This record gives sequence, C-alpha cells and structure tokens, in this order.
Amino acid sequence: MKTTYLSALVLLASASAVPVSSIAAGDAATGKAKAATCMGCHGIPSYINPYPTYHVPRLGGQHAQYLVSALQAYKAGQRSHPTMQAQAKSLSDQDMEDIAAFFAASGK
Amino acid sequence: MKRLTPIFVFTLLSALGLNAHAGGNAEAGKALAAQTCVACHGADGNSADPQYPRLAGQHADYIERALLDYKNGARTNPIMTGFVASLSKQDMKDVGAWFASQPGVVTPVQPNTISK
Repeated sequence: MKTTYLSALVLLASASAVPVSSIAAGDAATGKAKAATCMGCHGIPSYINPYPTYHVPRLGGQHAQYLVSALQAYKAGQRSHPTMQAQAKSLSDQDMEDIAAFFAASGK
Repeated sequence: MKRLTPIFVFTLLSALGLNAHAGGNAEAGKALAAQTCVACHGADGNSADPQYPRLAGQHADYIERALLDYKNGARTNPIMTGFVASLSKQDMKDVGAWFASQPGVVTPVQPNTISK
C-alpha cells in the first residue's frame, strides 16, 4: 500500500518536473521567416527608437530563453513599449520560440 | 578682477563637470557592475544562464533605458527593481558604457537581397 502511494507520488513529481506543453523547440529557419517584421527595426544597425530616444536592442546572439520571456512580458503588458506589445500580442508561443531561436543563432 | 576669479573658476569647473557626465564611463561602470550585475549577467556581460540577457555588446543607451524603466516601473522584475534603486542616472550610463564595450550581441543584418 505504501509502495503504491510512493509510486504515485514519484509519478506525480516527475510529471510536474516536465513542463506540460505542446510547444516544440524553436526552429531558427522557421523563425527567420516569422522575424521579417522584427528585422524592420532590429535588423538595421543603430536603428533609433523615436521617443524616448535610444537604440533598439541588438538581438543577434541573445539567449533564446530570455527573448521568449521578453516577448511574453510585452504580451502580458509587463513591459511597456506600445509597438512591442502590439507585435507580441500577434505571436503564438510557438512563434516566440521560433523567432527567439532565429535571433539566438544570428550571433557572430 | 579678484572678484571675478571665483566666477571663472566656477564656470570652468562646471564645464568640466558637464563634460565628464555627458557620456558613460566604462571603467566606472566596470567597477559598479562587478558589485552586482556579474552574479547573473557575467563579468563581461555574456551571461552563462540563458534566462538572463547577454548585455555584452548591447547598445549603451538601451541598457541605460532598461535600467531607467526598471526604476520608474515601466519594466517590472523583482530582481532588477531591487538593484536599480541605488543607481543614479550617471551610474546607469557608466554600466551601459561598460557592457557595450564588451564583445557580445550583434545586429543580425540580412544579406542584401535586392542586388544580384
């Protein structure tokens, strides 16, 4: 009886450890096509955000995991850039993974 | 003339001070970064843990803007909000200048597809 309980607990614990998700790992090639809009700003060296004035961030070689969390934060309204919020809202979780994989692979 | 001297000196010092504060000082930023940022972002800004962004090679003014946004609440992150509380605007410029000076992230420029 105790063994059954333990087995159930172990099963539950391992199931929780693996994120329940149907999202495949990001695909850089797919992400390249999906990132066409992003490149309008992030693909131009020294592109300037109009106001307030600062360079839009360099994304080539950035960690994919961070890029996904940044997009999710824009989508959730935790980061306040109107253009990025609008873009992020149009993206699915899979889109974000693919786009992030593309930029992560676009380092030197 | 003697009365004017202090004014001249003051003006000169102010001008020097303004120049010193116009941009970020990478060396000052390196010292600041060594106190806190390194723990997550790495000594040169190339973080080992993929949940933390690489700051190496990033635009200095973008880093400064991110820090400002954490301070004014436009960007929310429990860890970062705690760290930026003690930073002055000049500190933010200095930290930005330091990480920007290190090799890291780049702008991914696509090859020109128009020319043959």
